[in-house]
Amino acid sequence: MSKLVNLTIDDKKISAPEGANLLQVAKDNGMAIPHLCYHKKLSPTGACRLCIVKIKGQRGLLASCAVQVSEGMEVTAFDDELEEARKYLLDYLLCEHDESYDGSHPDEFRELIFRYGLDKKENRLFPSIWKELGYPKDESSPVLSYDAAKCIKCFRCIKACDEVQGKNVLSFTNRGIISYIVGGFDKWGESECDGCGECIQLCPTGAIVEKPHRSEIKIENGICRVRTTCPYCGVGCQLELMVRNGKIVRSNGVEGVSPNDGRLCVKGRFGYDYVQHPDRLTTPLIKKDGKFVEASWDEALDLVARKFTEIKETYGRKALAGYASAKTTNEDNYLFMKLVRTVFGNNNVDYCTRLCHASTVTAMLRSLGDGAGSNSIEDYAHSDCMLVTGNNMIETHPVTATYVKYAVQRHGSKIIIIDPRWTPLVKDAHIWLQPRLGTDVALLNGMIRVIISEGLIKKDFIEKRVDGGMKAFESLKALAEKYTPEYVEEVTGVAAPLMEEAARIYAGAERPLIATGMGCSQQVTGTHNVFCLINMMLITGQIGRPGAGLNPPRGQNNVQGVSDVGASPFTYPGYISVEDAENRRRVAGIWGLPFGELDGEKGLSTVEIMQAAYEREIRGMYIMGENPMLTDPNLNHTEEAIKKLEFLVVQDIFHTETTPFADVILPATAFAESEGTYVNSDRRVLRVRKAVDPPGQARQDWEIIAEIAKRMGKPLGNYQHESDIWDEIAQTAPIFAGISYDRLEYHGIQWPCPAKGHPGTATLFEERFNTPNGLGKLHPVEYAGQSEKADKDYPFILNTGRILYQYHSSTMSRRNKSLTDFANEAYVLMHPGDALKYGFSDGQKVHIASRRGEISNIRVQISDGVLQGELFMPFHYSEAPVNRLTRDELDPYSKIAPFKLSAVRVGR
Amino acid sequence: MSIEEIIKQFEPVQHNLLNILHALQDRHPQNCLTEQALDETARYLKLTKSSVYGVAKYYTMFSLEPRGRYIIRLCVSPVCELLKANQIMAVLEKNLGIRAGETTSDGLFTLELSECLGQCQEAPSMMVNNEVYNGLGEEEVQRVLVRMRRRKKK
Amino acid sequence: MGEKRILLKNVGVIDPGCIDDAIRAGGYEGLKKALKMEPAMVIGELTEAGLRGRGGAGFSTGMKQKFTSESCLKCPQRYVVVNADEGEPGTFKDRVIMEQDPHLYLEGTIIAAYAIQATKGFIYIRGEYHESIRKTEKAIKDARKKGFLGKNIMGSGFDFDVGIKLGAGSYLCGEELTMLESLEGKRGHPRIKPPFPAEKGVFGMPTLVNNVETLANLPRIIAHGKDWYRKLGTERSPGTKIFTISGQVAKPGYYELPMGVTLQELIDLAGGMRDGKAFKAALLGGAAGTFVDATMLSERMTYDNLREKGATLGSGAVIVMAEGDAVLDILHNCLRFFKHESCGKCVPCRVGTTQLVKKADQLRNGQPGKAALLKQMVREAEIMASTSLCPLGQSPVLPLESFARYFKEVK
Repeated sequence: MSKLVNLTIDDKKISAPEGANLLQVAKDNGMAIPHLCYHKKLSPTGACRLCIVKIKGQRGLLASCAVQVSEGMEVTAFDDELEEARKYLLDYLLCEHDESYDGSHPDEFRELIFRYGLDKKENRLFPSIWKELGYPKDESSPVLSYDAAKCIKCFRCIKACDEVQGKNVLSFTNRGIISYIVGGFDKWGESECDGCGECIQLCPTGAIVEKPHRSEIKIENGICRVRTTCPYCGVGCQLELMVRNGKIVRSNGVEGVSPNDGRLCVKGRFGYDYVQHPDRLTTPLIKKDGKFVEASWDEALDLVARKFTEIKETYGRKALAGYASAKTTNEDNYLFMKLVRTVFGNNNVDYCTRLCHASTVTAMLRSLGDGAGSNSIEDYAHSDCMLVTGNNMIETHPVTATYVKYAVQRHGSKIIIIDPRWTPLVKDAHIWLQPRLGTDVALLNGMIRVIISEGLIKKDFIEKRVDGGMKAFESLKALAEKYTPEYVEEVTGVAAPLMEEAARIYAGAERPLIATGMGCSQQVTGTHNVFCLINMMLITGQIGRPGAGLNPPRGQNNVQGVSDVGASPFTYPGYISVEDAENRRRVAGIWGLPFGELDGEKGLSTVEIMQAAYEREIRGMYIMGENPMLTDPNLNHTEEAIKKLEFLVVQDIFHTETTPFADVILPATAFAESEGTYVNSDRRVLRVRKAVDPPGQARQDWEIIAEIAKRMGKPLGNYQHESDIWDEIAQTAPIFAGISYDRLEYHGIQWPCPAKGHPGTATLFEERFNTPNGLGKLHPVEYAGQSEKADKDYPFILNTGRILYQYHSSTMSRRNKSLTDFANEAYVLMHPGDALKYGFSDGQKVHIASRRGEISNIRVQISDGVLQGELFMPFHYSEAPVNRLTRDELDPYSKIAPFKLSAVRVGR
Repeated sequence: MSIEEIIKQFEPVQHNLLNILHALQDRHPQNCLTEQALDETARYLKLTKSSVYGVAKYYTMFSLEPRGRYIIRLCVSPVCELLKANQIMAVLEKNLGIRAGETTSDGLFTLELSECLGQCQEAPSMMVNNEVYNGLGEEEVQRVLVRMRRRKKK
Repeated sequence: MGEKRILLKNVGVIDPGCIDDAIRAGGYEGLKKALKMEPAMVIGELTEAGLRGRGGAGFSTGMKQKFTSESCLKCPQRYVVVNADEGEPGTFKDRVIMEQDPHLYLEGTIIAAYAIQATKGFIYIRGEYHESIRKTEKAIKDARKKGFLGKNIMGSGFDFDVGIKLGAGSYLCGEELTMLESLEGKRGHPRIKPPFPAEKGVFGMPTLVNNVETLANLPRIIAHGKDWYRKLGTERSPGTKIFTISGQVAKPGYYELPMGVTLQELIDLAGGMRDGKAFKAALLGGAAGTFVDATMLSERMTYDNLREKGATLGSGAVIVMAEGDAVLDILHNCLRFFKHESCGKCVPCRVGTTQLVKKADQLRNGQPGKAALLKQMVREAEIMASTSLCPLGQSPVLPLESFARYFKEVK
């Protein structure tokens, strides 16, 4: 905290931190100094000049937005001279401005016009000239329109794009009175704009407004505003939904609240229309004679309860399994988990985390004791070194990426990227290491060797906080010895000096953060990869303080929460092992069940459940909000497995690739129709609130689950409201013990939060690791070659991943015109060298085959963003189901599947 | 020289942007910056398109429109105005058959107005590309135009 | 009073493209001497010589160097930026130096860099000054060959090099903070002040920005000493000033004179009025300057004296008008100029300059009620001056108010 100084503004005594922005100080103290170009999130611009004040001892009028407060400052904010000047300024602005107003957006300028009486023409000095200035409109963007005649040229959009989002897509054209804002070469739709809409949110006049629903919005009447959490990735952005006539018409970021401080990405701002899409499931459906027919809830629920009960009675309690959902709330998933454990009577509950960060979590749990990100998302803004491995964060976690870019662009921090494929963050990176697919262990061991051989380890940290101290370190050192720069270069293809420099920068940084993603985790060696990262982190002591640690950004809105509340075959709520009898006894008490009813044996994981279905060990399945028929590896095998099930219930908001295989389909609510909580990537529990009614008879997941349990004769509890469920979660999971809904009204809370008065925990492992002895554990691991290799028949290695405009199996994202206007077609990236070698051309349609399956009609995109011999495809598109090609050979520790590495061939 | 060759003479840093745009424009037969040139410059300097476009559109010496081989910049400073630059303007407009801001149909001349060229010791003045012509009278202007037209034939 | 050429002494004497010629004429002697002095001593010498910036503001050059050298000791880099973006209408003194004796100001630049211990510099030359660019390029190349630029200059251990940055048609880029934006490859929008360039200049580093004429003084002061220098000019404005006089005089051109010359003396030096016409008015300091009438002919032209009399010295431009010239047209020209050069960043300048031109059109169109119109224009220009972000929007009031004061042709 900087020291407080005393100043006066119009004789009002004020104290404020030294150097604070004078205009902001005045605003915070209730003084309505007019302003337009200033915004708290942006650097001062000094363009509108409305915030002029007088300061004793200084000449002339000063723009208060550009003044820092100091001791004894005497400020005049309002007098006749200042007010006259302000009126002139507003009058000037007015004459170059189209005053028409359609009511679809807030207009700060218009408010000032009324405040200064300039709405009356007789009070104006200047004739209107905007019509003769030839201001254009730009309608070329799929999501927004820009009207130069409504623009007051305040720079807020430009700075929103540059300083907040780190994109700098906008500029002015021309100069003087005919200048106006442009994207690209004066055509927004052909610029680098990715549609995040930060400019819309910060535009004070409605010069930039969203296209969707604009004609329906009248902000001054009939609009409800509902604060909730974004349903897309795991950043957990706080949204304000605007609702009119029962329909969502706008989504804005909530300013001043973590983690996003008003920022959104294109999905968060424009991706809500799926909620009100006509394809929504509105009634329960029962398959009769191969066709789905509408049914009543009673009919459907009774059938589900009867079938599950029959299977349990016929094949035993292990014959049932469930997939929970990373898209629904903690409360939904908690009850789902409770149903599997107490009604099905086994631990066969898992969800898509097994397919994304299971390896990361496994490695972190074994080494550090917690499987979640160790730092706050905002920490990136103050980090001096960010090691980004296998993490295309600009596309997958766009708002996190804004903090990362901020650190680079404003503080000169350094990004080190490890990725076989070019990602947009490379533009901001200091070093890009491009290893061959599947060689991460060798690369990271190489970096560890550099750190050791150059004496960059932190001995006292190792001695105090690493299990086994220097002795454990010695075994890592011995293992690393053979990973010489030359050897590593040979294995990975990464130039030795680059790798060495990266190691030095990381080890020498003050606040380095590792952001590890799917590229690292979705491999047979996924857990080993993360062990290596942790080894490097522990020997350099780069964890356990704000701005230093390891952070796997979670791919879906509630991946974190679903694990936290125990929807896992291995752990109960709060990451307590299912094998921990004492905990089971405690939880049985909370649940009011005899201890013996809770299965103490680990359950099956996601892919294992499918494999068990294939072996007919699993006979009945309950899938909530997951789409394994697009997202599971080795889809052909999944399809055979799923067909072998005797009874399948799919609960979702749309028909998916999986629903055709269901016996019963249950219609659930979307995020905007639900109440509850999510947990984001930095362990922040965030409220989700209902904004609109669900379509037809759709019901929130937890209510459906509770009904099934009841009808199976084992009611889960008496819950009146989602908060009742949460309170039970807080009882069962010690990490949530101090959190209740009343504390989540405005801000989220980061777990662990062990008691009511506890503020939550921003940074993990500051004092100790969460392992039994409190020490971090090194796991030296050797590089091993991949079992699947490119060969004569399958000469390419295929990598898969995500893109900005689509999400998961795209059932949600593809039902938003705003998003599909940006991207709606699958492609395969191919190196120009390969294109030449094999005779493929850009845009050509090809088919791709692996040892497991094939897909066809895929458009080739030639790009030097992939290495020669490697390909990349997004996995979102159902017509290009890339998981027909991938493998289900699992990482032995975490059971994750290697989505990132399949040998394939490409044919015409 | 290709666009790429021109750009690569400079270090890829943003502060070279104006120098690069000058070089590109000077080497273009129509004294202008093409969209392709701006695009390649943006990529070379790792800038967004608008960062380059906004600069090209701010400075009056740059043009995104094709111009004549010879750009005549007539000074309209107070000094030149005092010493009858308007008469010189009339001579130019008449001789070339175009107004300020236009290009002759043969693509030879573009007529532009310029702020003070700093040649006030011998006003009125004009520049034709990089050459300065001072103390202009009607005859001098005619002579210059004839010379330029003759150069073209060679 | 006759010319006193200390800056322009080689003009017309040496071949500006020949460094040996320049050296024979005493070039780089000042640098040689400076390199033997402590940097702080160089700053002290310049401060005590009383040299004031010739860009228009008249700030002490030595003090500016001192601030720049001390503002941020842990910054990895300091820069010298030469403001060679001479664009003030009626001004061409820097062009004369650049075209006729480029080594003089280059030497001054190197001395300034040494004084503040900057190892890098830029010369920002307006794009239209083709000859100045050419001559400066050659001078830099030759100076490098002679070891006046580059590593270990003249065996002193001091490294410095300089590059040329081109303007491209923007008067506003002559304003120092805007110049830094432009130099960084951006649009010419002025920055908020403070911070001043001395604290955060180009690339956020401490930067000394000096005008060409200012820097041309440095070699002379160092070579001949502060006492020699202080003998020229007046107590508060020592040294000489290059005036560029144009318009209705017989011999328009550049004249280097000790500070304190009167307007009448300057006109006389320029051969008197053209064709024996009668003096009517002068515009001092260019468009961002002030009109004066015959009552000011005998006033001494120093920064301070003119300021006291409500006039400006500015860049040293003197545009002379004779009976029969329409001063109103010149005023209109100035206002049109400001509108054309307004960057558009701040509201009062962007819109105010446009509205002033509209009103100036009406003034010329001879409608009744023009005195009131002019009064309103002055009022608007005052509001612009008090609210604008940078000097451009603060300038229109200067010609407008002085015009209204002296010339009653608008009734």
